[in-house]
Amino acid sequence: MAHDWQPDFEQLVDEHQSMVYSLALRMTGDRGLAEEIAQDVFLELDKRLGKIESAAHACFWLRRVATSRSADALRRRKARRTSLWVTIEEDHGVPAEERTSPLGARLEQLLATLPEPQRAALVLRYQEELSPEEIAATLEAPLATVKSNLQRGLKLLRAKAENHLKEYVRGF
Amino acid sequence: MDFEPMDDFDRKLKRLFERWPAPPDLKRRLMENRRRRKERPQWFALPFAARVAVSLCLLAGVFAALYGGIAANQAEQRRKGEEARRQVLLALRITNHALDHMNRQLAAHNRARQE
Repeated sequence: MAHDWQPDFEQLVDEHQSMVYSLALRMTGDRGLAEEIAQDVFLELDKRLGKIESAAHACFWLRRVATSRSADALRRRKARRTSLWVTIEEDHGVPAEERTSPLGARLEQLLATLPEPQRAALVLRYQEELSPEEIAATLEAPLATVKSNLQRGLKLLRAKAENHLKEYVRGF
Repeated sequence: MDFEPMDDFDRKLKRLFERWPAPPDLKRRLMENRRRRKERPQWFALPFAARVAVSLCLLAGVFAALYGGIAANQAEQRRKGEEARRQVLLALRITNHALDHMNRQLAAHNRARQE
């Protein structure tokens, strides 16, 4: 199909590197792996640039591929969950406290302990602010499954937060 | 540290799960990787005829190696057969020699008894 949009790879990297890296980081909990995934995703985009029809399509494609590559990497490496999040506090030389609150950092740790499908749904919901329909399209999963994963993930995360973050939370 | 009560978990998550900044040199390394990939000769960038020629050469190499292996194996089997045959003949010659010697002794013994 012919389309007028002229993609600029460098501009796409500038616009979406934070999104792709954050998705991979929240999914894997491993900074090095997230960087590796981000590189792979953008190099794959470069190969398929001719098939991308619009800026929105590029964004959708990047989200979908970043999430699926991260899930694949997770399955391969069976990531060590919470312990990996110790490294994130450095945040490339910026202390975590300067970027986010300790509560945020702890919630990130708890997020990393959720099952992978629930984690993917929650990251897309809260980081990318996607609707359940958009998440279903991104993950290529049935809407009912996505809604269930969102509900269960949120419930689990809330329960874990209640148990582990008592020092930060006076009530939900 | 003191934090406000988390009365709206959903809203909190939206605020807390903002995007992380990408590593500062991610783009530089990515562009470097991209440049290196483009410089590297790509298999599918080769003309069709060149790909066919390379495939045929590889196939011929595989067949040559297989044929060489089979031929070498057959030669080795032949050599072992020859060696076994030589050893059997040697054993037969030794047996023959021993029997001749025994026959001669028996004949000498018989002649001595008749005399």
